Amino acid sequence: MTERKEHFDEDLDLRVSAGFSEDLRTLFKPQLSVPSEVDRVVIDKCHQHFIPKHWSHRIFQHVSLWRIAAAAAVIIFAFSLNLTKKPGPSTSRSVLAEAQAVDIDRNGRVDILDAFKLARHIESANRHIESANRTDKKWDINEDGVVNGNDVDLVASAAVSLPLQKQGPG
Amino acid sequence: MKKIMAIILTSIFLIVPVLARQSEQDLTAQPKVRFAPLHIYLDSGNQPLAAFQFEFKATTGQIKIVGVEGGQHKAFKEAPYYDPAALYKSNRIIIAAFNTGRDLPKGRTRIATIHLQIIGDAEPDYELKLTVAADADAKEIPAKISFEKGE
Repeated sequence: MTERKEHFDEDLDLRVSAGFSEDLRTLFKPQLSVPSEVDRVVIDKCHQHFIPKHWSHRIFQHVSLWRIAAAAAVIIFAFSLNLTKKPGPSTSRSVLAEAQAVDIDRNGRVDILDAFKLARHIESANRHIESANRTDKKWDINEDGVVNGNDVDLVASAAVSLPLQKQGPG
Repeated sequence: MKKIMAIILTSIFLIVPVLARQSEQDLTAQPKVRFAPLHIYLDSGNQPLAAFQFEFKATTGQIKIVGVEGGQHKAFKEAPYYDPAALYKSNRIIIAAFNTGRDLPKGRTRIATIHLQIIGDAEPDYELKLTVAADADAKEIPAKISFEKGE
């Protein structure tokens, strides 16, 4: 038992004196001190690196660069086109085509004299009430049940209408 | 973030010269444009004029018809009949009017004014073709059509 005690000193006192501790601390303390500002910056950088990224970053991750490039190409193409052009006024061709069939004076062409003669006929008929009701319904061009100035306007419009194929580019 | 900024800046550097060139071309390519009225006259001699129809077109030069105005005499003061499709789109138009009244012009009278947009420096040439002129009884009468350039 005495021999064992000689090799394994289990009752060795591990406590050190205060003076010895102070000497050790002085001996092994860091030579450079880190300012608190530097500590804070390092911590902030760590936060930025490890916390989840902002929503805008996620969107940019999903929207590929090719899509952005395609959108830019579309915008450039749109700018290169003149989109401000608008179609000009047009006449109701179907209505005029019907009117062109009405050759009031039967001379083989529709001109202003057809409208003029129809207008004179209507005026004449209106002067005589009994004949006004007997105005030939075949001149009811717009088929509204009465022969009046609207029919005259339709015939006149047919007389001055430009054939589509003959319209120049301007 | 740096990559996105680089893409945006590259796009701007690409787009700006294209747009600048386009606007420059637009400015330089714009031909000279002016507006001028063309007064149309009809001389029916001593016959009263009750109806007329004529066709107008520019044979040379580039024009657009931008408006049509009535004539000098009160019988034709109102805007005549014409195809609205001719405005701004055609260098040709058919114009016609009639009056069933008894107060009708005789001799040389202005029957219409055509307002034109003339594009370019070249002075256009015009052609007038009288389709028909008629008296109060709707009988065709001989008449002479002419035009005068207005300012």
